[in-house]
Amino acid sequence: MKEIVVLSGKGGVGKSSITASLGALLAQRFRLVLADTDVDAPNLHLVLGAALVRSREIVASEKALVDHERCTGCMKCREACRFGAIAGDQVPVVLAYSCEGCGACAASCPEGAVTIREVANGRINAFAADSLRVVGGELYLGEGSSGRIVDLVKREAREEAVSTGADVILVDGPPGIGCPVISAVKGADFALAVTEPTPAALSDLARVLAVIDHFGTPFGIALNKADLHEPTRASLLKLAGERGYRVLAEIPCDLSVARALVVARPFVSAYPDAPASGALAKLAAGVMALCAPAGEPQRGAG
Amino acid sequence: MGWRYRPGRGRGPEKARPAVTEKLPPEVLRIFHEKGFSAPLVGVTGGKGGVGKTTVAVNLACALADLGHRVGLVDADVDGPNAAILLGVPLEDSRPVTIAVPVIDATRCTSCGECVRACRAHALFLPRAEAPLLLGACNGCGTCGIVCPEQAVGEEQRLVGRTYRSVRGLLTLYSGELVPSVEESTLVVNGLWQRVRGEADAHDILLVDTSPGTHCNVINALRGADDVLAVTEPTPLGAHDLELMLGLLDLFELKGEVVLNRCDLPGDAGKILAAAGRHGRSVAATIALDAQLVRSYAEGTPVVRAHPGVPSALSLGRLAADLAARHLP
Repeated sequence: MKEIVVLSGKGGVGKSSITASLGALLAQRFRLVLADTDVDAPNLHLVLGAALVRSREIVASEKALVDHERCTGCMKCREACRFGAIAGDQVPVVLAYSCEGCGACAASCPEGAVTIREVANGRINAFAADSLRVVGGELYLGEGSSGRIVDLVKREAREEAVSTGADVILVDGPPGIGCPVISAVKGADFALAVTEPTPAALSDLARVLAVIDHFGTPFGIALNKADLHEPTRASLLKLAGERGYRVLAEIPCDLSVARALVVARPFVSAYPDAPASGALAKLAAGVMALCAPAGEPQRGAG
Repeated sequence: MGWRYRPGRGRGPEKARPAVTEKLPPEVLRIFHEKGFSAPLVGVTGGKGGVGKTTVAVNLACALADLGHRVGLVDADVDGPNAAILLGVPLEDSRPVTIAVPVIDATRCTSCGECVRACRAHALFLPRAEAPLLLGACNGCGTCGIVCPEQAVGEEQRLVGRTYRSVRGLLTLYSGELVPSVEESTLVVNGLWQRVRGEADAHDILLVDTSPGTHCNVINALRGADDVLAVTEPTPLGAHDLELMLGLLDLFELKGEVVLNRCDLPGDAGKILAAAGRHGRSVAATIALDAQLVRSYAEGTPVVRAHPGVPSALSLGRLAADLAARHLP
């Protein structure tokens, strides 16, 4: 079984659109499970037009809870908290959105009035569209510990893959480089880094490649909206040549991609003759070569 | 548990599921809205990535500065800070953001294991009859030092990010940057705010540009905001994520409006208006995706300065004037 994660650093460069279309193409050759680990803004099911089949709440966050009957108002908890999550002058007020659940407050309370409780911070949802299955995570508003939801989504996707005999897990990653991205990369066999030819996207690409490289994960690059800005495209291709990065496909600017969102289908299915769909076939071929059971994926750099 | 999937095609996209959220306690809200300075603070956020948050923030900052106001622009997307790139200015005046991680004094340590059991990040490991080793992802919470009965836990500083300050005329850009492979973006957002808060009142108005999402980091970036612009686009994904973001603004009782960016993309602007309406929010501006906006984005020359006459620049200029009228004397 191969696990492929799609990342970008920058948001909105086309991760979910490309994941959905890549999934539709890979599903023609492999048994596939899709995972949506952008738990803040889970959109993969919308791109696929997938229907919710099951959902359950998950408890993957820990927060401090003050027992005000026992609390004497010494405020040692506030002094101990390094995340500014305890406020108040005489009565501690826990700011749950800043609380990391580290337990420094509980350890420092002389009255044993502070405990760390597990709290529900999101859901795991299962969706289906055609033969595609999606396991997706969802973080409750303003909650933290998204990395732990990502871990659970990936675990669920692996179980699903085992029980259905799937060969490939395709993971739609979150934007950024922080804890949910690190959870998404860990354990992946291959990372597909999606970018676009703008300086902002390239700056974020470099940052996410640093994270991918930290874990030694092989990677390839998909250049989306390739004709958006020719000078930046040229500098990306030059950089990729110098560093030995593999650009697996260049996907042109194509309104079919946005139109496919409106009809809630992968663009390769809704507009198979569109230029973007042609480029996706090339991308899928590149990824399939790397996922072929015979050959181990090769390193993106080197 | 095993999921069961229905055969055949799905019945179309599910409606956004409202998260289970209780009303926040009044004291939590009161503290959330304490800003710590008197200059007005406007948040620019949006839920979905790549909808144009930074483009809007940078152009508003330039337009407000060009109206003669002293502007502080805070780029709180520490995972991918791009405001400097869009402004075409380098990151300057770097300061480190560090956390204090434990250093165990082996001569004092009795290998009792208290620190290892107390560490909820599971970052400490206890080899047999030796002092614990720091192996995992430590967030510098200090609990190990609190519980050690032998005072054997000292600390050293570990770099997790940097903050920057670049001044160009009336516009000061503050940026934060997380070191790649460090998990906790919040530590850098907090470090950035600490730096900004100290000099916030040297500005007439502050704008803060957040990371995508609706998580605790976005909330920390928006603390104390007097007004928030939720940027979106007319695609179904934009509508879905806007709904989440407006839910977050409602929960934290933040004032704010919607900015409809790339209004000419395929999609349904009606869904954006409906989402705004459900949350009692109005649409403050509608911005067209003109070629000059794309070019100025790629070339680090904000469109309100490079092409002030094009439709996108005019919309952004009007929005800046509205903000000035609303928040500045």
